[in-house]
Amino acid sequence: MANETIIELKEITRSYNLAAEPVHALQGVSLTIKQGEYVAIMGTSGSGKSTLMNIIGCLDKPTTGTYILDGQDIVARSDDELATIRNRTIGFVFQQFNLLASMSALQNVMLPLVYAGISAGERKVKAELALKELGLEGRISHRPNELSGGQQQRVAIARAIVNNPRILLADEPTGALDSTTSREIMGLFNRLVDEGMTVIIVTHDPETASHARRVIKVRDGKIQEDSTREARHEIN
Amino acid sequence: MNLRELLGIAWQGILSNKLRSGLTVLGIVIGIASVITLLGIGQGAKLEAEKQVQSLGVNLIYVRPGAANLSSISQGQGSAATLTYDDAQAIRENCPAVEDVAAQYNSAFQVQRGEQNTSTSVVATEPSYTDIRNFFPAKGRFFSLNDLKEAARVCVLGETTANNLFFDENPLRKQVLIRGELFDVIGVMEHKGVTQMMDMDDQIFIPLSTGYATLVGLNAVTGKQVKSILVRAKEGEDMQAQFQITNLLRLRHNIQSPDADDFTLRTQADIMQTAQSITGVFSLLLGATAGISLLVGGIGIMNIMLVSVTERTKEIGIRKAIGAKYSQILSQFVIEAVVMSVTGGILGIGVGLAGASALSQFAQWTTVVTPSSVLLSFFVSLAIGLFFGIYPARKAAKLDPIVALRSE
Ligand SMILES: Nc1ncnc2c1ncn2[C@@H]1O[C@H](COP(=O)(O)OP(=O)(O)OP(=O)(O)O)[C@@H](O)[C@H]1O
Ligand SMILES: [Mg+2]
Repeated sequence: MANETIIELKEITRSYNLAAEPVHALQGVSLTIKQGEYVAIMGTSGSGKSTLMNIIGCLDKPTTGTYILDGQDIVARSDDELATIRNRTIGFVFQQFNLLASMSALQNVMLPLVYAGISAGERKVKAELALKELGLEGRISHRPNELSGGQQQRVAIARAIVNNPRILLADEPTGALDSTTSREIMGLFNRLVDEGMTVIIVTHDPETASHARRVIKVRDGKIQEDSTREARHEIN
Repeated sequence: MNLRELLGIAWQGILSNKLRSGLTVLGIVIGIASVITLLGIGQGAKLEAEKQVQSLGVNLIYVRPGAANLSSISQGQGSAATLTYDDAQAIRENCPAVEDVAAQYNSAFQVQRGEQNTSTSVVATEPSYTDIRNFFPAKGRFFSLNDLKEAARVCVLGETTANNLFFDENPLRKQVLIRGELFDVIGVMEHKGVTQMMDMDDQIFIPLSTGYATLVGLNAVTGKQVKSILVRAKEGEDMQAQFQITNLLRLRHNIQSPDADDFTLRTQADIMQTAQSITGVFSLLLGATAGISLLVGGIGIMNIMLVSVTERTKEIGIRKAIGAKYSQILSQFVIEAVVMSVTGGILGIGVGLAGASALSQFAQWTTVVTPSSVLLSFFVSLAIGLFFGIYPARKAAKLDPIVALRSE
């Protein structure tokens, strides 16, 4: 299972047709990621990391190219089918947390289960478990604005993993956090990888990236370098 | 996701901006309340009109001098001196479909009693008047056939007239002067109110014969002239009665062509129809007014939902990012609109019922709120939520997740 290919991108491009001139955010990205891999994506600002993550996360569609996720051609899927994939297969952690301000931590974490059609009782049990796993059992009825940044990000991670996705995507999950909190969250990701989850994170921080066994460097919408941890050690 | 959960999500959305939702609901409350109240007024007016027409007496036919068409505009019905007491007698004797007849001559005269002095309509008629008009004395008695035969100087006062002349005193066995002639008061009529734009309670009734002898006098040419003949047809024989009366009068008046008719027949059905068409137009106008206020309320809902969708684009993006489908976002916003409109509808029904009963209590208007208009209002409010909610909801559901997430 560990060596099964789960993500396969072939010649992916993504262009934005702006009035002035088209922006080519991705210009032919090909990439294969296996189940259980821990991948860090690095690159300068504007290089196309978020664009790539959004496509992998089925939030956005490529302009051209093929995306096979878990054996399914994503480009041909309808919006509702993509919604189901985002709900069941992928967990997404955003840099700005993106929690619903009017809901408690527990309600936020339960939300993906609501859309998954899971019964209210089971939802509560699962969400509480996920929050507990992230050390937030004392904060379940707090609203996001009553939580610290690190706590909010942990709620967001709990929401991303509550439905047991096979892939966890995190776009600069520690960008807004201090180094101690960042380290805590990286530790959590390590644990999820150990449990067999495929984890892909975008980061600027080499320290954060060093947790990943594979680092992909993006530049001007293209993959500049793709190295496993061992290869990187050899270079150093 | 079941309906209860969708309702829960919608309710959270509504509560997240209480003032705005409240004002939106208020628009619907006003709309539905005016529908309930105005329909109640319309229905009440209709009922009142029907009741008044009913109270004139059943199977009633009015025979009046003067033609029904063109000439009636120029000279006014009842002004021609072509109907006589003999016509009334002929109808009584020769029309088998006629149950009863009362000829009447009415005119305004000065009436005095002590210091009190008033001008009142004096109705000289026959004892059959009470049965035909369905209008009876409350005190004392109406004059009898004997009084008619003897041209007795007796009179029966309408309720208002009695009050005007006697205040709290009992008028029975007292006397009044009608154009200087002395009359014994033998009865006071029951309360009848205003029918056909005539105050039935401000009249004095005297025997027809007495009227001819003391007040009107006889016309050398036409004999005993009457102002109208009230006819009650036998049950279910209105048409025959009208036919018989028309033929008889044409024969007696020597009329060859219907165009030359010098009399007019009006039935209760005619009057009822007129009343109904007037109240129908009235109801329609009220309904249209209420409909417009509902439309405004509905547009209010749409407007607020559009604002809400714009403001909550980020929320929609988050929901979509974690797996909400088109239909789930759509139903969230449609249900939000429907919950607001139905809440407004239910409150509006309450306010409308209160308004209708307040109007009948304090303004003495007859209002009738039927269960069907309550049910109609409820479903209209539901439909408004659906109709005006669907467009903003579709806008929300169609949002691209990435675009929505990037908003703010
Ligand atoms: N919606 C959009 N419309 C137009 N251009 C866009 C849009 N989104 C991204 N771009 C452009 O695509 C390029 C890549 O953007 P992207 O967000 O992927 O960069 P990034 O690598 O995530 O940068 P950062 O590290 O600053 O987050 C940029 O040049 C950006 O201006
Ligand atoms: Mg980015």
